[in-house]
Amino acid sequence: MSATTAVPSLAFGPSAGRSALAIGGGALFVLLAAVAAVTLGTSGIGAGDAVAIVVHRLTGLGPVTWPASAETIVWELRLPRVVTGMVVGAGLACAGTVFQALLRNPMADPYIIGPAAGASLGAVVALLLPVATAGWLGIGLVQALAFAGGLATVLVVLAVARGRAGTPVVTLLLAGYAISSLLSAGVALLIFNSGERLAAVIGWLLGSLAGSSWPRVAVAAPLIVISFTLLLLRWRRLNALLLGEGPAAHLGIEVEREKRILTVLAALATSAAVAVSGTIGFVGLVVPHLVRLVVGPDHRLLLPASLLYGAGLLVLADLGARLAGGVPVGVVTALLGAPFFLWLLRKSVTGVGDRR
Amino acid sequence: MAFHRPAFLRFITLLLLFGLSACATTPGAASPSASTADSAQPASAAASGEPPAFPVTVTDDAGREVVVSAEPQRIVSLAPSNTEIVCALDACDRLVGVTDFDDYPPEVADVDDVVIAATVDVELVVAAEPDLVLAAGNELTPTAVIDQLDGLGLPVLVLYPETLDEVYADIQLLGSALDRGAQADSLVAGMEERVADVVAAVDGAERPLTLYEVFHAEGTTYTAGEGSFLASLLELAGAEPLTGDAQGVLDAETLVAADPQLILLGTASYDPSLADAETALATVSARPGWGELDAVRDGAVVPYLDDIVTTRPGPRIVDGLEALARAIHPDRFDPDR
Repeated sequence: MSATTAVPSLAFGPSAGRSALAIGGGALFVLLAAVAAVTLGTSGIGAGDAVAIVVHRLTGLGPVTWPASAETIVWELRLPRVVTGMVVGAGLACAGTVFQALLRNPMADPYIIGPAAGASLGAVVALLLPVATAGWLGIGLVQALAFAGGLATVLVVLAVARGRAGTPVVTLLLAGYAISSLLSAGVALLIFNSGERLAAVIGWLLGSLAGSSWPRVAVAAPLIVISFTLLLLRWRRLNALLLGEGPAAHLGIEVEREKRILTVLAALATSAAVAVSGTIGFVGLVVPHLVRLVVGPDHRLLLPASLLYGAGLLVLADLGARLAGGVPVGVVTALLGAPFFLWLLRKSVTGVGDRR
Repeated sequence: MAFHRPAFLRFITLLLLFGLSACATTPGAASPSASTADSAQPASAAASGEPPAFPVTVTDDAGREVVVSAEPQRIVSLAPSNTEIVCALDACDRLVGVTDFDDYPPEVADVDDVVIAATVDVELVVAAEPDLVLAAGNELTPTAVIDQLDGLGLPVLVLYPETLDEVYADIQLLGSALDRGAQADSLVAGMEERVADVVAAVDGAERPLTLYEVFHAEGTTYTAGEGSFLASLLELAGAEPLTGDAQGVLDAETLVAADPQLILLGTASYDPSLADAETALATVSARPGWGELDAVRDGAVVPYLDDIVTTRPGPRIVDGLEALARAIHPDRFDPDR
C-alpha cells in the first residue's frame, strides 16, 4: 500500500451519475436475482413462505406456518446455493477483470494461467481415491485438493515464468498454457481410468453449485471476499498497468511485484471458487467485457460493477440450471450471457453505443 | 478442454447403459409371469403378538449403519430396482417419490418423480418429506447427493446388489426396515426356487461362448464386465459369457479373436431396428470384423428384448434369468410358456 501516495490520480472514469447507475443497477440486479433464486424452485413452495422463512431464520419473527421440509429447502438448500453463486460469480468476474488488465489480453479469463487445470487434477484425484470424501465440516478432500491444486499451479507457473528481468506477460501466458496442458493430460488419463466414478468426475468438471452448504460457504466465502476486496483496493495500479508496464513503472508502480500480488490474489479467488463449484466457464471471461462496454475501462468502477454483475448472473444462471433439471450451470451462463454479449458487441462496433 | 472428448463419449455411454434401461417400452418386451405369488400376501406380518420391530438398525450395501426409528410411511426410491423391491413387499402405497425411469409395477406411474433425467432433485426429495430414502450405489446415486441427504438428517439406505445373493439380502434388508420380514422371506424363497428350476433345466447342456451386447459404438462393444452380475446370470443360464474388462469394454480385436458362438443383442430392447432377427443379423455383419464371427455366419444372433429385467437388480431379476436361459437354450424350455 506504500506506493499509493506516489500514484497520481488515475480516475479517468465516467461521470458520478453513470457510476451510481452502474453500481446501483448491479446491486439491484444481485438482489433481484437472489430473491428470485430463493423463492423459485422445483418443489413449489410459495414465494411468500420462502421470504417468510428467510425473515424468520434471520430475525426469529413471525409465526411458523410452513412444514419443516419447506424450511430445510429454503434455508439449507436454496440459500447456501444462492450465497455460493454470489461469491463465486463475484470472484470469477473480478479475477477475470484483473487477468484481462494484467495480461493485456482480451481472451484472458480466471483460468488462463492454470488454476482450473490444477484444481481439476486435485479434485479428480480426490474423487478417485478409495476413501470417504465427506470429510470435515462438509469440506471434503475434493474441495481441499481442488483449492490446493489451483493455487499451487499458479505459484508454479509464476516461478517458472520468472526470469532475471522479471516476468514477461508472454512468458507467463505460455508457461500457464504449457503447465495447464500437462495437468489436463493427467486429468484425461485419470478420467480414462475412472470406471464407475466417471459420472462423478464429469459432473465435477462441468461445474455445479448443487453441493453448496453453509459449512462450504463458511470456508470458501471469506477467502473469495478477502481476495476481491484486496483486488478492489488496487484499482489505481490496474489502471496504471493498462497503460503498459513501462508507463506504469514511470508512474511509480513496482510493476513486477504488483504483477505477482495481483496474480496470487486473483488465483486465490479463482481457486476457492473452483473448489466449491467446479470449473464454471463464461462468467469470468465475458462479464468484465460486458461491463467494460457499458462503464468503460476505469477499474474503480469496472471492478465493483463486474463483481456485482458476475454475482447476479451466476445466481440467475444457477436458478435456470436448477429449474431445467440440473443441467450444468456453465451451459446456462453461456446460453443466457452470450446472445446479450453479442448484442452489446454489435451495438458498440456499429457506433450506436457509447464506446469510451 | 480437449480432454473432455473421449470422456464425454463414455459418459454418454454410461447414461445409455443406465438411462435407457428404463425409458424404453419396447413393443414385445414381454415380462413373463411378472408378479410373484408372494407379493399377493396380506401385509399383516407384524400384527400378531410379535415384539415391536422398531427402532431397527440395518447395515446397507455401502456399509453404513442406518437406524430406522419407526415403520416408514413415506419412502423415496432413487432407483427403479429399489421401487420394485418396495412394491414386491406390498409397500407400494408408501412410496412418495420415485425416478422418471420407473415403469414397474404400473401403479408407480402415479408417484411423483424426484429423479429426473438421471439427476436427483434434492429439493424435491426433501419436499416429499420422506422417512426413508432408498439410494443406489456405484455412483448411480452420486455420493455427493447421499452425503447431502445424510447431512439434512434424512435416513438413507444405499442398495447396490451385485449378485443374486445380494439381491436376496437386499430384499431381506428392506424386509427388516419395513417390518415385512415374512413377505421378504417368502419372496426370496420363491425366487430361489425359480433359479433352481432354471439351473436344473440347463444342466448338462453345452455352454456356448456368448456375447451379451449391452451397447455398441464405434467398433467398441460394451458387454458383461468380468465378474459382473450380468456375467454370473449368463453362467447360471447355461452360457460361457464372453466378458469385457471390469467395465464391460470389449474392443473389436478381442471380440474377433474370442469368436463367440452366440450373440444376444440386449441393444434390441431399445433399438427397434434390431428387434427383427434378419435385420439385426444384417446390421451386425456389416460391422468391421463381425462378418467372420462364427455366431454371425451361423445366424446365431438373437435380438434380446428383456434387457430391462435382466439388468435391473430387483425381484424381477429372475424373469431376466429365465429369459436368458430361454434365449440360450430354447430347446430346454417349453416354447409355449
